[in-house]
Amino acid sequence: MPVEVILPKVDMDMETGTIEAWHVKEGDLVRQGDTIFEIGTNKAVMEVEAPATGAIRNITAETGVPISVGTPVAWIYLDGEAATTPSEPAAAAATVAAATPLPQAPIAHAAAMSLATSGLRATPLARRIARQNALDLKSVTGTGPRGRIGEKDVTAALILRSDPQDRVSKDVPGGSGASASILRDAAGAAPQDEGSGKKSCRQSEGRLQPFSAIRRIVASRLSESMRTAPHFYLTSEIEMTAARDLLGRLAKRHERIGAPKPSLTVLIARVAARILRDHPVINASAEGEATRFHARIDIGIAMERDGDLVVPVLRDAGAMDMPAMAREFARLRDGMAKRTLTPVELGGGTFTISNLGMYGVDSFTAIINPPQGAILAVGRTIDKPVGRDGQIVLRPMANFTLSSDHRIVDGVAAARFMADLREALENPEVLL
Amino acid sequence: MPSDTLEAVSEIRELSYAEAVREALGQAMEADERVFLFGEDVGVYGGAFGVSGDLVHRFGTERVIDTPISELGIAGAAVGAAITGMRPVLEIQFSDFVTLAMEQLVNQAAKIRFMFGGKASVPMVVRLPGGSGTGAAAQHSQSLEAWFAHVPGLKVLQPSTPHDAKGMLLAAIDDPNPVLIFEHKLLYKTKGHVPAEAYRVPIGQAAIRREGTDVTIVGSSIMARKAEAAAERLAADGISAEVIDLRSIRPIDFTTIAESVRKTHRLLVVYEGVKTMGIGAEISAMIAESEVFDFLDAPIIRLGGADSPIPYNPVLEKAAVPQEDDIVTAAANLVRRGEA
Amino acid sequence: MSARKAEEATRPNQRPELAALDDETVARALTRMHLIRKFEEAAEASYMRGLIHGTMHLSIGQEASAVGTTLPLEAHDYILSTHRGHGHCIARGAEPKLMFAEFFGKETGYCKGRGGSMHIADVEGGNLGANGIVGGGLPIAVGVGMSIKAQKNGRVCMVFFGDGASNEGAFHEALNMASIWKLPVVFVCENNKYGMSMDIGRAMAVANVADRASAYGMPGHSLDGNDLAGVSAVAKEAVARARSGGGPSLIECKTYRWRGHSKSDRNLYRSKEEIEEWRAQDPIRRLEDELKAHDRFDAAALMKLEEDAQREIDSAVEFARACPDPDPKDLTRDVYAL
Repeated sequence: MPVEVILPKVDMDMETGTIEAWHVKEGDLVRQGDTIFEIGTNKAVMEVEAPATGAIRNITAETGVPISVGTPVAWIYLDGEAATTPSEPAAAAATVAAATPLPQAPIAHAAAMSLATSGLRATPLARRIARQNALDLKSVTGTGPRGRIGEKDVTAALILRSDPQDRVSKDVPGGSGASASILRDAAGAAPQDEGSGKKSCRQSEGRLQPFSAIRRIVASRLSESMRTAPHFYLTSEIEMTAARDLLGRLAKRHERIGAPKPSLTVLIARVAARILRDHPVINASAEGEATRFHARIDIGIAMERDGDLVVPVLRDAGAMDMPAMAREFARLRDGMAKRTLTPVELGGGTFTISNLGMYGVDSFTAIINPPQGAILAVGRTIDKPVGRDGQIVLRPMANFTLSSDHRIVDGVAAARFMADLREALENPEVLL
Repeated sequence: MPSDTLEAVSEIRELSYAEAVREALGQAMEADERVFLFGEDVGVYGGAFGVSGDLVHRFGTERVIDTPISELGIAGAAVGAAITGMRPVLEIQFSDFVTLAMEQLVNQAAKIRFMFGGKASVPMVVRLPGGSGTGAAAQHSQSLEAWFAHVPGLKVLQPSTPHDAKGMLLAAIDDPNPVLIFEHKLLYKTKGHVPAEAYRVPIGQAAIRREGTDVTIVGSSIMARKAEAAAERLAADGISAEVIDLRSIRPIDFTTIAESVRKTHRLLVVYEGVKTMGIGAEISAMIAESEVFDFLDAPIIRLGGADSPIPYNPVLEKAAVPQEDDIVTAAANLVRRGEA
Repeated sequence: MSARKAEEATRPNQRPELAALDDETVARALTRMHLIRKFEEAAEASYMRGLIHGTMHLSIGQEASAVGTTLPLEAHDYILSTHRGHGHCIARGAEPKLMFAEFFGKETGYCKGRGGSMHIADVEGGNLGANGIVGGGLPIAVGVGMSIKAQKNGRVCMVFFGDGASNEGAFHEALNMASIWKLPVVFVCENNKYGMSMDIGRAMAVANVADRASAYGMPGHSLDGNDLAGVSAVAKEAVARARSGGGPSLIECKTYRWRGHSKSDRNLYRSKEEIEEWRAQDPIRRLEDELKAHDRFDAAALMKLEEDAQREIDSAVEFARACPDPDPKDLTRDVYAL
């Protein structure tokens, strides 16, 4: 029996997931434990390992399309097994939609293609429409009984093609004409006008790239944040002399004890974690018409990976000393680069720090990472002339901007937090 | 004014199915002296289901002829009369009894024209009350129409409405071939609009009783009526079912079925005869063999009679043939889940 | 009437059945008996030469029955025949060349090659067809009788069947209905002793098929089926009764088929002696001998009748062999009338 590869549930409230990338292709040999695809949930992206050793067959799920948890997305055929249609995938949960652009198979090769798709369950109508539009049925996820691909699955796949006008075929001349109308009917708004003027117009609009799963998540979450949380912003310019000195000393100590060298971001996180204890309303979330005060301080650190925003979380940061935090931070950054972080590690913080100082940004305002109540945006540290004891002197200065959810945080509460932040960074001994 | 009024009355005139058949017989006998009715108890008794009624008083015992209980004999007599210039209409009292007449219908009536190189024709009509639902048990409740639809040379009709019962009987009497009309016993009392004049409903043309887009339900005789009722309920449930009343199963109007399936992509065939090797099998295969196959978006589903004789017990009897609920369920599952 | 009586009186030494047949009628009857015999022999020869696609049921030895019963029929009367029906067709006046064409499966045959040996029909000529089903024609004859009665056209329907068919339900249903409605039907049973291999004595509890007529209230005649004149006399009476509205009759012609039931018959159920005994009762020679004995025909005249018949059959075979086969594209042409 071939082993079924399903879209796994990797998070508590996960109902659908998106395959971000396949690491294998049809026919590849995989060993149990090899990463075969990446899955995106509404919080994170994670890798899925092969459940068995064998050949990958019948990859039915394309990337970038939400798929219900438990849907079979591929099969692993053990040595010597013939690649036939898998009998009864256990979990036949429905796919939300299916398919994407595909290698363009000329219609003349339809026969070859139908051979290639003979192992699939698909209705005659689905096969017909796929054939006419040079759509490889292997890329379509069936939502019918036992994964059968129906007309609606195929038309959904065709709609999702980035350039449907180029590929949705008209019916063959002299044919019934019914198929084109079927496609149009089924596809609803499938474009029909193929005039050249319209085409050139389209080309001038540049490249259209669909969102990655993470981009979709970020887009939807941040939009929601701006829509539901009334933001207000407090900015403080803080002298970083003491913090720099402290970082220097900590670097030596960490080197001595074998802990990673602390970065300014880690130091700020450590300081924030400490003072958040005294500002529970900043470490809180709006929940309906109530404020949720979090028992633990979990600080998310905004990071960039391949152009996407991800936020690994320093879990229970309030309980960490500096070496522990440096170690945890290093582990998260490493795990993120290696894509080994779990969705749990990539979500669920209570407060977020976003530091763009290393990119030379002086200051910025950040959008709160919902459902958190505040986010701290850190600009670059730069020597600036400041007045000290009646003298103008150069001091390393940095802008800190706190975005707060006004539903739960008032201006004074936020100001008090910023005052304590300044005091702690300028005189770290107060933390002792 | 008075004539207008009469016309208006005529337009909404309702007859029962049995009355419609009787009216057709009467009109045919009035119009053509070659037409005569014969069978068991069709005379003064008026027919076992009251179809011939008072015809014997109108046309006399020479043209409304009681016969001995000799199904084979009377079927053969119909053949003999037909090939020598008459237009006999034979009633087989219960369609089950046609098993006794198979030889004459299958070996003789159906084949004479062919065997004789087209030099004879057999213009006879056999009316066969059939179907279950009357508690008449296994030997008086069968639906054997598919047997005859298997025989080249015969035509087999299953009108479902009083209108068609009259129009198709008149068309059958005109037809130069042997035509068997299976009349469902439960339909005899159903009423419907029947024009007074002698009109014809063409043989071999299905009727689309209701247009729809989600699923095609094909049935004939009482199943067409049940399918209509089921479609009404399905509509309330958001499913648009197209109902095709076959009316004639040989010749069968495949074009109408095919065009409908091309549109709806789903086919449910409903028939009272035993499901196995039945009408549904033929229609399914015709679709599967045709170019319409490529327009199917779900398996074809057959709802047919159980692989059982018709039982006496009323609960069992209902369970042995498709009911309206079964059609609703099957059609909904076909549309929603792609299976029965 | 008086002229005929006078003519019969000129044959005072002959039995009345023979005396009732004038020379022309006798010659016609003899010619038809020869044609039947020659037709069957030519059919058998064609079969042995591989020219025939199917089987056949030969009526050699039964010629007097076919010709004698049909002799009193008029041109517009009907007959219905059996699987052993070549003789009935010829007796009724069918053209041997069109019969052979049918026999060879040709488009020019009586049934355009669709019917073959067992289904030769000539509907326009009043032959409503031979029938492959034992007893198949009997109920049809009832309907034909109903037609005749309804149309008041004065015709008669004669239906042939074998001893085996008299054990079919159809026989009893048909005789009963024909009798209660007094239909103009003559039922002719050609009792050749065997239903395929089943001896009539083992298949039937009464001695004669004709005995069954009394159950249906009609006259039953059991006679020597190899005596043309005798058969003809009884048939004449039955036809007259039918035509006059007196109702049906049952005639049983006891006769014998010299050949087997069909071409696959190995005659395991009867003896050579029995066959030889019946060959000695050859209906053609019996008639010829009787005519010679009464000096009604000389040997040369009789020989000429036979030779003419042989020539007609030979040319019929020649004609038929040259005819075109049907076109397969016309296969379903005549399934339905349009």
